[in-house]
Amino acid sequence: MSSPTYYLDLIVHFVRCDFSLRYKGSVLGILWSLMLPIAQLLVLVFLFQRVIPLKIDDYPAFVFSALLPWSWFSNGMSASGNLFISNRNLMWRPRFAPVTLVIVNTLSNLFLFLVQMPILVGVMFFYGRDMTFSLLFVPLLILIQGILLVGFGMILATMNVFYRDVQHIVSVALMLLFYLTPVFYWSEDVGENYRILYLLNPIAMLIQSYRAVFFYGTVPEWHSLLLLSGASVAICGLGYLIYSRQLHKVIDTI
Amino acid sequence: MPAVLEVEAVSKRFRIHHNRPVTMKESIVRRFTGRHDTGSVLWALHDVTFSVEKGCTLGVIGHNGAGKSTLLRLLCGLGRPTSGRIRCRGIISGLLELGSGFHPDMTGRENLMTGGILSGLTRRQVVSKQQEIIDFAELEEFIDQPVRTYSNGMYLRLAFAAAIHFDPDVLVIDEVLAVGDSRFRQKCLERLAAFRVSGNTLILTSHDTAQISSLCNEVLVLEEGRVAMQGDPEEAIQCYDDLMRQRTEKRAAQLSGGIAQTSFTPEHGSRTGTQEASVCTVNLYDKYGRITNTLCGGDSLTVELEYRLAKPLPDMASTLAVYGETNVKCFETYVASVSAVCGHLTSHGSFRCHLPELPLLAGRYYINVGLYPVDWSYVYDFHWEMHALQVVNKDETPSEVSGVVFVRPVWSSKMTPDL
Repeated sequence: MSSPTYYLDLIVHFVRCDFSLRYKGSVLGILWSLMLPIAQLLVLVFLFQRVIPLKIDDYPAFVFSALLPWSWFSNGMSASGNLFISNRNLMWRPRFAPVTLVIVNTLSNLFLFLVQMPILVGVMFFYGRDMTFSLLFVPLLILIQGILLVGFGMILATMNVFYRDVQHIVSVALMLLFYLTPVFYWSEDVGENYRILYLLNPIAMLIQSYRAVFFYGTVPEWHSLLLLSGASVAICGLGYLIYSRQLHKVIDTI
Repeated sequence: MPAVLEVEAVSKRFRIHHNRPVTMKESIVRRFTGRHDTGSVLWALHDVTFSVEKGCTLGVIGHNGAGKSTLLRLLCGLGRPTSGRIRCRGIISGLLELGSGFHPDMTGRENLMTGGILSGLTRRQVVSKQQEIIDFAELEEFIDQPVRTYSNGMYLRLAFAAAIHFDPDVLVIDEVLAVGDSRFRQKCLERLAAFRVSGNTLILTSHDTAQISSLCNEVLVLEEGRVAMQGDPEEAIQCYDDLMRQRTEKRAAQLSGGIAQTSFTPEHGSRTGTQEASVCTVNLYDKYGRITNTLCGGDSLTVELEYRLAKPLPDMASTLAVYGETNVKCFETYVASVSAVCGHLTSHGSFRCHLPELPLLAGRYYINVGLYPVDWSYVYDFHWEMHALQVVNKDETPSEVSGVVFVRPVWSSKMTPDL
């Protein structure tokens, strides 16, 4: 009953449903998923190329290479708080493992990211950035980010059942994190005194790695990859611990 | 027979938070000020032990709040018992809420896939059963419409059809046989019978004791979270009725100060209930609308109940039954919500039940009526054999007929040509 095929079918089906529901009844359909990052890109490019020039070469490509992974992260995080409380009827199905919802949320946002990826590659070509074998690191980065999101997702979804503050905290934190993560600027431009902020921020490391791969065409730094993998596995482990300890209380509470 | 499900000394405790900390701030403040949550504790289940053998159909009865739903949820693996153990050999699936997991914006077909996959089937298995389910639910032309456009009945039909076609080893059904029209309900009952015959185990709750006794071969009676008894349906339903009477008496005793007891004692029959709502008169009308005590067999009869409420009640349920002189039940019917029939309940009012034709054999019958709280947990007022109905037959009753139903038998060697 709890065979891998069961979970595979379950997850594939739910990702498919999630995806078809997201754009059901809209004319542009999946194109909408591209609108938000493109609008964001235009704003950032206008601000930091025209209003307050940051003097970064190929600035649109520079921003875009970090913006897309960031949107995956941010979408995944902001949806996870509500996962358990808004799917009460699924949670009450016998044998349904609520963690499925977290995985489905992560995967369906990943799917959006994958849909956007060809455009990212197109933009890189347009600006004549070198596409090298470093792209082979993308699956690894995706895996790390997926594990990280599932970990955070389990923590947030579980905690939000008990404290509805969590989802509000998440939206504030995501807003702050967007500016604390070098999405639209270069981390080297930040003064030495603040460098520590970036070393403590795994998202910054992750985003830098994506940028290294897409924009600079270089291999991400080994030590940050190692740290990232360690951090994501640790957060996932912690998330699972919290989730599995609290699950029966979650079921009683929702 | 091996036990497919074993429940050992299971208890479940819920904390009732009068002021549950909803925000993190509150809970931190509480921790620092040492003001701990003074919620009370509710034992929804207390030391419940039973086992179910393979192929058995177990009915669980008990009034609202007796712990039926909690028990069923625990059986389905939702939540953990506070103490005790539940062991299950086989796949357990439940219909705790019909159509749980259905998404209103998805089509019926897509939702079937969701339901099937949730029940542990592979995509291919669901596809192969799909047509059978759609036929069963009689939704061929609507299956590719979003479920939100379905009528309530259609939705329930789809949900039920889906649930009973994805055969698990143990199926748990909470109060869902009350769905759909009577023909569809009959179809469901037949399907459940087939499910049982094929060696699967069924656990169900129902308020309808007749349904329980026809479907189940064993019944568990829950009373305030404890097992009052487990046994064959007849004994169990007897026990359930006894418990209901005890509760009524207890409540009547508590209320006796507050509510003036209606003073009349019946000339015939007996009367029980708390009298929070009482039946003051029962009038019978014949087909011409005249008050009568005599019915011509096969004619229509209208029963009017005049009630009086001792205190305002939002709603109540009512039963109407006709019994023969030898305590044979001819039929019984109920209305789950009187206010749905006659609107807002006033302190003194009436409602009617029209019976278009009542083919009773000549004789003396009794009309038994009752008023109940909507959860049927005790009795407001019940009149047992207090209202007599004399039935006469227009035509001579054939002397070779006995029983309660008026028939005209024609004996012959072959099918009568005019049939």
